Amino acid sequence: MADNKIETTEKSTKQYIVVQIGNEKYGIDIGYIDNIVRMQKITRVPKAQVYFKGIINLRGEIVPVMSIRTKMELEDDVITNKTRIIILKIEDKGLLGVMVDEVCEVVTLSEDDIDTMSSNAKSGKDSFISGIGKKDDTLISLFEINAIIEEKDNN
Amino acid sequence: MDVSQYLEIFIDESGEHLQTLSDCIMTLESEPDNKDTINEVFRAAHSLKGMAGTMGFKRMQHLTHDMENVFQEVRSDKIKVDSAMIDLLFECLDAIEGYLDNIKATSDEGTEDNELIIKELNDFIAKANGETVPDKAPAAETVAEAGGEAEETAAPVESKLVTFELSQHEQKDIAAAREAGNKIYGLTVYIQKECLLKAARAFLVFRAVEELGNIVVYRPSSQDIEDERFELDFSIYVATTEPLDKLIAAAKNVSEIENVVGEEIPNTEEKVVEQVPAETKPSTTAKEESKPAAAAAPSGSAPAKKASAGKPATNRTVRVDIEKLDALMNQVSELIIAKNSLVSISSSEGGSFASQGFHDQIEYLERITTNLHESVMKVRMVPIESVVNKFPRMIRDLSRTLGKKMELVMTGEDTELDRTVVDQIGDPLQHLLRNSADHGLEDAALRAERGKPETGTIFLNAYQEGNNVIIQVGDDGNGIDTEAVKAKAIERGIVTAEQAEAMSQKEIVNLLFMPSFSMAKKITDISGRGVGLDVVKSNIEQLGGDVEVKTTLGEGSTFTVRLPLTLAIIQALMVEIRDEKYAIALGSISNIEDIPVKDIKYVEAREVIHLRGMVIPLIRLDKILDIEPREQEPESLTVVIVKRGDSLAGLVVDNLMGQQEIVIKSLGKYINGNKLISGATILGDGEVALILDVNTLM
Repeated sequence: MADNKIETTEKSTKQYIVVQIGNEKYGIDIGYIDNIVRMQKITRVPKAQVYFKGIINLRGEIVPVMSIRTKMELEDDVITNKTRIIILKIEDKGLLGVMVDEVCEVVTLSEDDIDTMSSNAKSGKDSFISGIGKKDDTLISLFEINAIIEEKDNN
Repeated sequence: MDVSQYLEIFIDESGEHLQTLSDCIMTLESEPDNKDTINEVFRAAHSLKGMAGTMGFKRMQHLTHDMENVFQEVRSDKIKVDSAMIDLLFECLDAIEGYLDNIKATSDEGTEDNELIIKELNDFIAKANGETVPDKAPAAETVAEAGGEAEETAAPVESKLVTFELSQHEQKDIAAAREAGNKIYGLTVYIQKECLLKAARAFLVFRAVEELGNIVVYRPSSQDIEDERFELDFSIYVATTEPLDKLIAAAKNVSEIENVVGEEIPNTEEKVVEQVPAETKPSTTAKEESKPAAAAAPSGSAPAKKASAGKPATNRTVRVDIEKLDALMNQVSELIIAKNSLVSISSSEGGSFASQGFHDQIEYLERITTNLHESVMKVRMVPIESVVNKFPRMIRDLSRTLGKKMELVMTGEDTELDRTVVDQIGDPLQHLLRNSADHGLEDAALRAERGKPETGTIFLNAYQEGNNVIIQVGDDGNGIDTEAVKAKAIERGIVTAEQAEAMSQKEIVNLLFMPSFSMAKKITDISGRGVGLDVVKSNIEQLGGDVEVKTTLGEGSTFTVRLPLTLAIIQALMVEIRDEKYAIALGSISNIEDIPVKDIKYVEAREVIHLRGMVIPLIRLDKILDIEPREQEPESLTVVIVKRGDSLAGLVVDNLMGQQEIVIKSLGKYINGNKLISGATILGDGEVALILDVNTLM
């Protein structure tokens, strides 16, 4: 019960799910997350954007699954038994699955813990990140959800 | 009185009346002397006026009132119907529709007075009466009212208060009321025939009367009155200490009440049973109704009885939010998915579930879900009438603007389609009709030269064919000049001259559906803006349908629109290509063939098969869908022959998995640019299969 008090502290804080993609840790605002599911059979969709692995059946709903690695132009996913699909719930556009290597933990970050990205870094893959969170010694790149769901023009 | 609860009824009924008016005026234009139509028009206008007045929409009432006056003059043969008048009347209808749109959007009629139209209407009447007294309009109104009533209330209005057979319970109430020093009066209230909200009127009468006393007996029962199950009159017994005159006056004060008659009911202890006049339907029904009503009501005072009987009973129709129907449909879809998975378990693990009973129940479940699905679909079906009704008027207006004589012949307006499809089919159809009117029909001179009747015919035929609804739109006009289309396509750079030469007539006609291909020689406001047939085509394809054209130069053209009956659940053939599963809608499959590889021929470097005299192009699905090629080609191929209109194509698949009822699910908004796949479905084992869009494959 006492844990809920976090919400009422003076500084505005947000909770993030920390995931591992390659060597980096990324944070996803928990407000966007509908669900986290284990890896399952993904049905390939021909002629779809390259970074869409396909679609899955999430309790009777069709949910497209994106490889965030492909979208960020990293090397291909290696599927292990730690691989998870984070189901994001985006208003207007519905559910979207994002594959990650591993789900690590949930952290609570206050505004002070977050460095916003300097504006000159707004190019290439950095544009997926809205800021850097610091928790103890680890640095967590915080995803900008809109950048993930946005269509890349050059594709 | 708070009328907001009637607003929806008002909007619906006004819409219907407007449609009637529009239809009748159209008829009047061709047969100006049709008395029946004139009467019908008059009645519709009168009802519209009455309803607008009741709801407090003064401007709308004013306009309809003046329109009604014109009809009155026509009815009494003072004015002849001419085309200027028809035009004016249509303007009126548009203005009324404007009010109605406002009311729909804001519950208020808006502030447009439409004085110009009203003035013109009055000019008409003035002309007809040869410049008579300036306040002719009100006079005409009284004539109208009187005329309407004289004709319609041929039934006698004499006092016909019936002494009813009273239930025991009602007698007890009356006795109790008498003991309390009240007198019992019987009142019969006659409502005007034009009144549309009879129940509301009756309610107002009750309220007025109950201010003076208690109502102890209702004939028909209060329940029936509330549900409008009575003709034009109803009777009540009132227990009161006030004089009869006052009661009658109070009841008459309610508007749209034609007459109220009343008398005192003598105090006789024994039951008064008099013969109920046979011709008064309400009282006979009342007799039947009185027993259950009395049985249901516990013995008690009059108001208590009213409250217990005042609960809403069943209605014949129920208004349901389309969203609720969508939710129901989704749940049925879920049920079918669950059923499919049971079916697949029962067939795959035959060993453990081999008992006959289990299979029987599964089959039973299948039947039920299929029926349930059909029922839900039927609930969602509406006739296309609501969409095509506006077309006769549109064609008439087009006939004016284009200066061509034409008529629209429609059949199958009662053909039913899913609500969502009906809502979206209007624009494409309208476009096709406009096309026919503008490009299709020749001008009078050319028609005469070709020996065709002067009036061009545009037709719209709708009918159901299997799981599809076909809507044909066409004309007996010029047809499509394929040479002109070809020239235009070359000019626009859509095809080269060589390509054009090699094209079949059909392929050339299909060029019309290319984006930005407009055939109109001059740009009119009717068509020819370059957003034309391609939009029609894409709209129809979005609904899962397709459109094709047949045309003969000089004789006319026909556009055939094919739409699926249902959007959500279809019968499909499941096929396998390597390890991927795809669904092909059963409706587009013609037949399935095993074709030896050696029988494949080549035409223009494309693979074709020659089957029963037809040359059918082969489509290698694995290539199109980017599936790994097979290491070794088998000796014979399984080919699913699909059809789209008249053309066929053979889809090469690895395996057939069987027929299945599938629930179509959208791929969502993220994955795009995928025209080959029209959706996905969840199979019995939870796996996802993609649905191939045959139309884009061909």
